[in-house]
This record gives sequence, structure tokens and C-alpha cells, in this order.
Amino acid sequence: MTIENCITLKDVAIGYGRTSILSGITFSLKKGEFAVLFGSNGSGKTTLFKTILRIIPPVRGVIIYGDGRPARFGYVPQRQYLDEIYPFTAGEVVLMGTFGERKPFCPTSKTDRSLVEQCLNDVGMLEFKKDYFSELSGGQKQRVLIARALATRPDILLLDEPITGVDMVTQRVIMELISTLYKKHRLTVLMVTHEIHTIPKRIDKALWIQDDTLWVGNTEEMFASLRADGAMDKTTL
Amino acid sequence: MEQLLEILSPQFLLRNAFYAGLIVGFVCPQVGIFFVLRRMILLGIALPQVSNAGIAFAFLMHTVGWHFLPHMESEKTMALTGSITFSLIAIFTLAVLERKRKGFTENRIGFTYVLAGAASILFVSWNPYGQTEVLSMLRGEIVSIPDFYLWSMFAVYGLIFLCIIGFHRNFVLVSYDADMATTLGKKVILWDILLYLIIGVIISLGVMTVGPWVIFGFLLIPPVAARMVVRGILPFCIVSSAIGVTAAFIGFYASYRFDLPTGPTDIVILSLILAFLYMVKILVRLKR
Repeated sequence: MTIENCITLKDVAIGYGRTSILSGITFSLKKGEFAVLFGSNGSGKTTLFKTILRIIPPVRGVIIYGDGRPARFGYVPQRQYLDEIYPFTAGEVVLMGTFGERKPFCPTSKTDRSLVEQCLNDVGMLEFKKDYFSELSGGQKQRVLIARALATRPDILLLDEPITGVDMVTQRVIMELISTLYKKHRLTVLMVTHEIHTIPKRIDKALWIQDDTLWVGNTEEMFASLRADGAMDKTTL
Repeated sequence: MEQLLEILSPQFLLRNAFYAGLIVGFVCPQVGIFFVLRRMILLGIALPQVSNAGIAFAFLMHTVGWHFLPHMESEKTMALTGSITFSLIAIFTLAVLERKRKGFTENRIGFTYVLAGAASILFVSWNPYGQTEVLSMLRGEIVSIPDFYLWSMFAVYGLIFLCIIGFHRNFVLVSYDADMATTLGKKVILWDILLYLIIGVIISLGVMTVGPWVIFGFLLIPPVAARMVVRGILPFCIVSSAIGVTAAFIGFYASYRFDLPTGPTDIVILSLILAFLYMVKILVRLKR
């Protein structure tokens, strides 16, 4: 991608069908930025996330990706939404990241197998390649899902609450992993979380939903707004 | 042993029934995998009943004068048309309601099962002629399969098998993580439609060949049994079909040897394989 902005939202309203839950959203995410989308449960952050990912359409407004062509997303979902009945190994889960480019009837190539091993190695899970995904711990599953996102060779890495449901030690490990991958692969990162204590100290942009308002600023401004009303860019209903 | 060699002989009188059973045993588990993984088991109970109702309705229409081909060909063609039409209407209606999250899935499928079963009986009872023939078709007369019918089944099931294998990545991805599939540019709804189409055709044709219970058995039991003992999606697919073919083979031999109805014998063999693999799983776990 050559254009500086990876994602630009212009006066976007998000919701389901014709019902809007948050509107007038305008912000941009620049290439190489690490941004956090923070909000309480039910505030609309996952809806905004899915709208950016094109999983659900915006109710109103325009979303522009880079130079106009669709961006390549590396998506890390919340792992509890993945059904454990599927008999996948960790390697097979990561391999799914390559499915976007594979043609029918083509067997898995050596290149793809190598990519899977490389991505698993990046997240420290190579030794678990042949283990059942459903039998891994919460933190291990999360790392495998991050590896899957890396296997898409993304322009933008989007993580939906990657540290929910794991202990504090594992939370720190996962956040350090994300920071390391961000620097190593020079990714653009957008992470959703509702746990403020896990937000990295050094991020480029903070997006914050509270009282049906999307705020855009930096972490100091976001933390200050928790205590009192602060001077931030504001988009409202 | 003699009877086994007789079955394997190309001159075997019931060879078409034998081959049809093997085709069902090989292909149905590949579709059944998605029934199990998508937790659509109840649909696998209801759809064969809907297919039944379609066959009975087609026979009723044929009896009241709606036919346009010579008698025998017209009957089977209409039965297949009725079976496929009813199945596809049911599966797409249920899929749309599921997508719109209207009501509870179990309620809808249970209602469909009961309604289809009642409709089948009513259509048969309204048919003043050929009740025996209708009932035998509803039971699945695997013994009497003409060459043309077998070749048609081979072609259709073969095409479905190639479709499942060729597009396996897409089917698996949209089943497992539809959101990620969307981010990778996949048209989830189109792949779902194709899968439902495949399911509808497999069940429609299968019901006419082996009957509703046997088709459901081959959709459900091989993947459930395979799921217990394999790791990874490729072994899961291979072992499912292996179990299906093995059960079809042994079931046909046992039914021929001991003069038993083929369909129920196949189901018993499948169940024995399931029980055996379950015990193997327990023993392996105890050894660890």
C-alpha cells in the first residue's frame, strides 16, 4: 500500500439493518500505526470492528481503504466463537490463513507449509503444530489465531479482544507478542479491548467509545477522559 | 466365502444394488461431515422425511394425470423431481429463517419433521393406486436398481464428491469461521447455498435409493465414529468414507448371506463400528 492512510472512515454510522447504534464516525488509521479501540461491553466496539472488516455493511457513510482497493486483513477473532467440535490441529488452523489465495483442486503447496511453520514459530507455537487446537490453553489458542492472521500476509492486523478470558501473566505474554510482531512485520494494528490495564503504554492512537460517543486521541487523553471531560476530537450521535 | 466371491463377481444379479450401496457409503459421509461439524444433525432427520413427502406427492400427481413420459420412466422421474423440489424448498427456507434468527432452530426442524411425515402419509392415502409401489420407494428398494439409474447415481454422486473435494477449503472455512472467510473475500452466502444444494440433492437421490433412515445413518454415523479416533481434517474425511464403504460392504454381504433387509443391516453394522471405535478410544485413553 502506497497511500499513507490505511483506513479512512467518513461520517460512518454503524449498526444492524437500518438501526444505527453509533453515528458520525470519522477517523483515519495511518500505515504503521498501532491503535486501540476501547469501550465497555455493549458499547458498539465489536460492531465498529466488524464494519471496518466488511463483515457487516455500514448503515451510512463511507469507508476508504488505502488507495481504494480492499485491504488485506489479518483478523484475530474472539476464540470462544470458534466451535471446538472441529478436529483441527494447530497447523491446520494456521493454514486457513492461506485459503484466500488458493485455487480449487490445488493441494497445499510447500510454500504454504513453510509459511505455516514460520508463523507458528513467530508466535512460539511451532512445537504444538500437530496438537488438537481445541485442547490448547486459552493463551495458546490465542497465539495460534494470531499466527493464522499472520499467514494471510496482512496489510492490517485486527485483533478482537485478544486477551479476554486469560490470566494476567498470559495477558502480558500476548501483549508483548503483539508488540514484537508489530515492530518485526511493520504492521498496522487495530486492537479491540475492554481491559484498560492491558493497553500498551506506547500506542499511536486511542479510539474510545463512551456514552454513545467515539473519541479519538492518544492514551494520555483517553486516560484523562476517564477521570474528567477532556479536550479530544469528538464524534457524536 | 462362496457368497462373498459371488457378490464380487461382475455377473452377480444384484450387483447394481451392491454398487449403489458402496457409492452411498463413500460419498454420503463427506457431506455428513458438514452435518456434524455445523451441528445440523436434526436437519438430517427432517430432510429425508421432506424428501419422502416429495416422492409421495409426485406419485399422487402422477396418479391424477400429471405425467409426460412413458409410464415407468415418468414415475421415477417425477418421484425424483418431487423429492428434490421438496428438499430444496425445505432446506433453503430453514436456512433463511436460521440466518434471520427467527425462533428456535430445534422447533423449526421438529415441526418440519412432523409435518413432512404426516404429509407423506396423507399423500399416500390419497393415492388410490400404487400404494405398494409408493411405499416400496419410500422404504428404499436398493435391491432393484436399473442400470440407467445406477449410472445416473454414479454421475451425480461423483460430481458432488468432486465438488466437495475441490472446494473443500472454502466449505471448511465458511463453516468454521464465516467472519474470517468474509475478510478473505469469500462470498459466504454463495458457499452456503452451494452446500445446501449438495445436501438437498444427496438426500433426495439417496432417499429414493436406500430410504430415509439409511441415508441419514450414512450421513451421521461415519463422521461421528471417525471424529473419535482421528486428528486433523484430512484423516477425518478419509476415515469417514472408509467407515461408510466398509459398513456398506459388510452390510450387503450380511444381508445377502442371512437373507436380511439391506438398509437396516447397514445401520447395524455402522453402529457396531461406532461402538468398536468408542471402545478403542477408551482403551487408548486408559493406557495413557
